[in-house]
Amino acid sequence: MSSPNSFDALQTRVADIAPVYRNPLDSPYELSNEMFAALRHVLHDVGGQPDLPIEYEEKVEEPWEMSTYVTCECLGWRGVWNSEERRRAENDLGATLYFGLPYYARWATVAAKTLINKGLITPDELSAKLDEVRARTEAAS
Amino acid sequence: MTRFQIGDRVTVKDATSMFHTRTQAYTRGRTGVVVEHRPEWVIPEDEAWGREDGRKEPFYVVRFLQRDLWPKYTGFDADTLETECSERWLEPAEEEPK
Repeated sequence: MSSPNSFDALQTRVADIAPVYRNPLDSPYELSNEMFAALRHVLHDVGGQPDLPIEYEEKVEEPWEMSTYVTCECLGWRGVWNSEERRRAENDLGATLYFGLPYYARWATVAAKTLINKGLITPDELSAKLDEVRARTEAAS
Repeated sequence: MTRFQIGDRVTVKDATSMFHTRTQAYTRGRTGVVVEHRPEWVIPEDEAWGREDGRKEPFYVVRFLQRDLWPKYTGFDADTLETECSERWLEPAEEEPK
């Protein structure tokens, strides 16, 4: 199913979403306290950072977004996690995934990751389910 | 019992955070005024790691002047920003009484 060509295309896409301007640290022998503070900075704490305007859209929740929200709440009621664990898990995705995913896709992703972390599902079960759903939606389209 | 009352001026501690925090970097060391009490709840330092029976503290809504937060603020002097802090993050403001 995967070919060298699709691997090349994947590599190109991964490179395209990597930060452009950066100072690679490359596992230095020493760090200043200032640099350590910068490394500890939590991803969601974006207040005061320069950014560009984004287009504001008047839109309602789509069914998959509401389903994701309700699923995550149910996981909370059943004692799997709480909202603060979710926020931390979102930060722990790293910048590329955090800013790359749609808002509720971030929720769905960290819900899955938390279920794996807590031993409630396994990564191969999740992968198999993703393949099953992909096959179903591709067959339907 | 709440340590701070409505109207008290408080400064956000510039404490070290590891791995997760709800105390925004731009509030650290800044002084604002308590405008609302929030019910006691598990502090984020415990809740974020699933310790739902963790340490409970009162939370406070603190109101800052925008110009106290952003050195280059170009809006109105009266503009404010409100955020929530658990009690451990606040200390009485050390400043001249007005």
